[in-house]
Amino acid sequence: MTLGVPHGQRLPLAIAALGFAFLGLFLLYPLFNVFGASLLDAEGDRLTLANYTKMLGRPFYRAAIVNTLGIGLAATVLTTALAVPFAFALARLPIPGKAAILALAALPLVLPSFVSAYAIVLLLGRSGIVTQWLQSWGLGFGSIYGGGGIVLVYTLTLYPYVLLPTVAAFKAVDVSMEEAAQGLGSSPRRTVWTVTLPIVLPAVLAGALLVFIETLENFGVPFVLAEDMPIFAVEAFKLFIGETAPNPASAGVLGVLLILTTALALLVQRRFLAARRFATNTRQAPPILRIGRGFKAAATLYCWAIVILALVPFLAIVVLSFLEFRGPVLHGHFSLANFAGLFDRSLRPLLNTLVFATLAAASVTLIGVPIGYVVTRFRSGVATVLDVVATLPFAVAGTVLAIGFVVSFNSGMLVLTGGPLILVLAYSVRKMPFAVRSASAIVHQIDVSLEEASISLGRSPWQTFLRIVVPLMLGGILSGVVLTWVTVASELSATVVLYSGPWRTMTVVMFQALEGSGAGIATAAASTLIVVTLLPIVLLYRLVRRYELSMS
Amino acid sequence: MAGIVISGASRSFGTVRAVDGVSLEVGDGEFFTLLGPSGCGKTTLLRMIAGFCELDSGEIRFGSERIDRLPTHVRDIGMVFQNYAVFPNLTVAGNVAYGLKARKVAGPEVARRVEEALALVQLTGYGARWPHQLSGGQLQRVAIARALVIRPQVLLFDEPLSNLDARLRVSMRGEIRELQKSLGITAIYVTHDQEEAMSVSDRIALMNAGRLEQVGVPVDIYRHPVSRFAAEFMGTTNLLANRSLGRAGDGLVSLRPEALRLAAEAPTDWPTLSGTVARVELLGPIVRLDMRLGDGTVIKAALLDQPGQSLQAGAALSLAYDPARLTVLP
Repeated sequence: MTLGVPHGQRLPLAIAALGFAFLGLFLLYPLFNVFGASLLDAEGDRLTLANYTKMLGRPFYRAAIVNTLGIGLAATVLTTALAVPFAFALARLPIPGKAAILALAALPLVLPSFVSAYAIVLLLGRSGIVTQWLQSWGLGFGSIYGGGGIVLVYTLTLYPYVLLPTVAAFKAVDVSMEEAAQGLGSSPRRTVWTVTLPIVLPAVLAGALLVFIETLENFGVPFVLAEDMPIFAVEAFKLFIGETAPNPASAGVLGVLLILTTALALLVQRRFLAARRFATNTRQAPPILRIGRGFKAAATLYCWAIVILALVPFLAIVVLSFLEFRGPVLHGHFSLANFAGLFDRSLRPLLNTLVFATLAAASVTLIGVPIGYVVTRFRSGVATVLDVVATLPFAVAGTVLAIGFVVSFNSGMLVLTGGPLILVLAYSVRKMPFAVRSASAIVHQIDVSLEEASISLGRSPWQTFLRIVVPLMLGGILSGVVLTWVTVASELSATVVLYSGPWRTMTVVMFQALEGSGAGIATAAASTLIVVTLLPIVLLYRLVRRYELSMS
Repeated sequence: MAGIVISGASRSFGTVRAVDGVSLEVGDGEFFTLLGPSGCGKTTLLRMIAGFCELDSGEIRFGSERIDRLPTHVRDIGMVFQNYAVFPNLTVAGNVAYGLKARKVAGPEVARRVEEALALVQLTGYGARWPHQLSGGQLQRVAIARALVIRPQVLLFDEPLSNLDARLRVSMRGEIRELQKSLGITAIYVTHDQEEAMSVSDRIALMNAGRLEQVGVPVDIYRHPVSRFAAEFMGTTNLLANRSLGRAGDGLVSLRPEALRLAAEAPTDWPTLSGTVARVELLGPIVRLDMRLGDGTVIKAALLDQPGQSLQAGAALSLAYDPARLTVLP
């Protein structure tokens, strides 16, 4: 009453204020500085578009734009073409082992994609194991360096982005729609094309957009595979390392262009999807179709082949890490030398990774869950703006955000460069959209009247949030924490810009081993990363299973 | 415990005046029902009393205390929701104890009062169950026990029975009324079901488009509706032009179907109407029939079934009505 704020609005406004403070300082301010750097002249006191004309005037950077967009589009088309039939098979065909397929198919989302890229190099690169073996038979194939290899890795690691929502969409198609079509004389095959596919199209497009944005922002995969082919995120990084820190004009230009491209893709998707909302309220899950034996065998083979092909690189890395390397050359002996080499120097990087991931997961959860609650429950202008700002990091490549952090926090009131906190903060901002979205999805499922009941019984809105909302969200929050933890542990693009001295992480160790010739160390680091990301997932899965068993 | 005084309460959403200058007085211990079609503002008014909806203007008092600026959680209300809103993460006992713990009631006292409240709603022995093990009717009993146990100044019911099946609705409404009377807590009850409202309420406020249409004891509103809306919403009625009944003036009158009888069986001083039977429906104890008058007007009548009575569509018929039960509408 002292502020004249209605009592029902106090909790959400307090949360929104905290959210804006955090995102304002660690997202908008750094982005503002990146924009500023790209728009200022060399002395830093006059606005100019000279940086843009200079960069766009150089064929090398124009090629970077064309390459990045071309690779992104190719990977998006390819993943979609692979994933949609896959999804249809999982949802509607009698494929054996569906639960296992789904669980395995989700793994590439949490495993670091640059590890897959590196495995491809070790297997199919110039002196790769498979390459050499084929050459001993007199067989050869094209180079996997450059666009082809990048698209291959993107396809293998990003297809779940299309697969998972599309499976859900196929399962949510109301069976009576198909029955209506067939009742009107449409053949089953025609029904799939004219009814089922159009209904799932929005889900497919949403997944495809995620793939496209992911390819634009990815730093690790092109860094490993592009060689001299210019790619946006990599060139921004190289420019920034080469430039003087106070005025990263050229890197800023690339960063701004990258953000604008992603934002444009998001806008196009929103416009397109807004016009096409096919709300089907399912009463009955669509039936598994009856198919012939040959078709069934082919579909089964298709699904398993994709799942296994996507995981082979990771498996190969684990196997390779236990073999002996001399320099870059591989020998067929079992050995722990790679791990000894990795950890003899220091356990610090592993420890850093674990601590940073834990801190970032905690802060993302503590900030993101309340924001997710507010943007879902309170439909006001403030909540909408908060939603947009909290989703913004999604459109910002890690490299660009990191550049903004360096520019913003290397002098002045708040100096963070050179310390560990800058990494934790950058991770927290990068994973914020994810935490907010998942929290919002859970809140959607909690009936408002539960909160009203608690308040009417004498608990304040804040106590109600802690005693009713949080316990009901707990399962979802826990999954969110684990997924944040896992993706932070394998974060590369912001880390390589922001790490310093003793604050190297496992991804940096691997990154540095790639630049040198330490293939042994790199494989050991990659295996360690795989274990570090898989272990929490397995634990979570078991925990959830036990919880479900105890509840039933 | 206290009465409720609402004066000039208004609230708009955009251009819609959801509640438009409503003034009401609810007596201490009264069972008061807000009745009306969906969108009439009854739920908004209830949520204003609860504190989930701000007032644009006007005020609300519990007894002499003004409460419309207080946050909900200090208003001392008990609320029962349409979808039960039983906390799924707490046991039945945990749900009922929730409000007591919020009031820092001592442990042994909590246990005693929870038992007492569960007994009151006939759920003795259900304390350790989880909500997902209960039926809809049982869940609503838990919700009622949870609201009663804190002995609130005011009990608020937001369409508490509309998710239950028809048979259970009828028995539960009786139980709710009995509980409320035995505890003597002032209750506001929201429903769109006219029959439910008439069976439970001491008084009813009939609402339409954010305003009070008519306030009174149920039987009064039924017998003496003040408007066409009230006459039509409170049960079935015939809205007839005076001319059709051979009366002077050109206004409308309301004539309930049960005010009509076969002319042969009616007192001789009742006016008669003649026409042809348009439709007959035997519903067991009563017969509903439509009779078409000479000028084409159709009159609905409800007669008790009698042996040997045979009414056929198309047959000529004379009905008489009780002139005392004719309501002239403004």
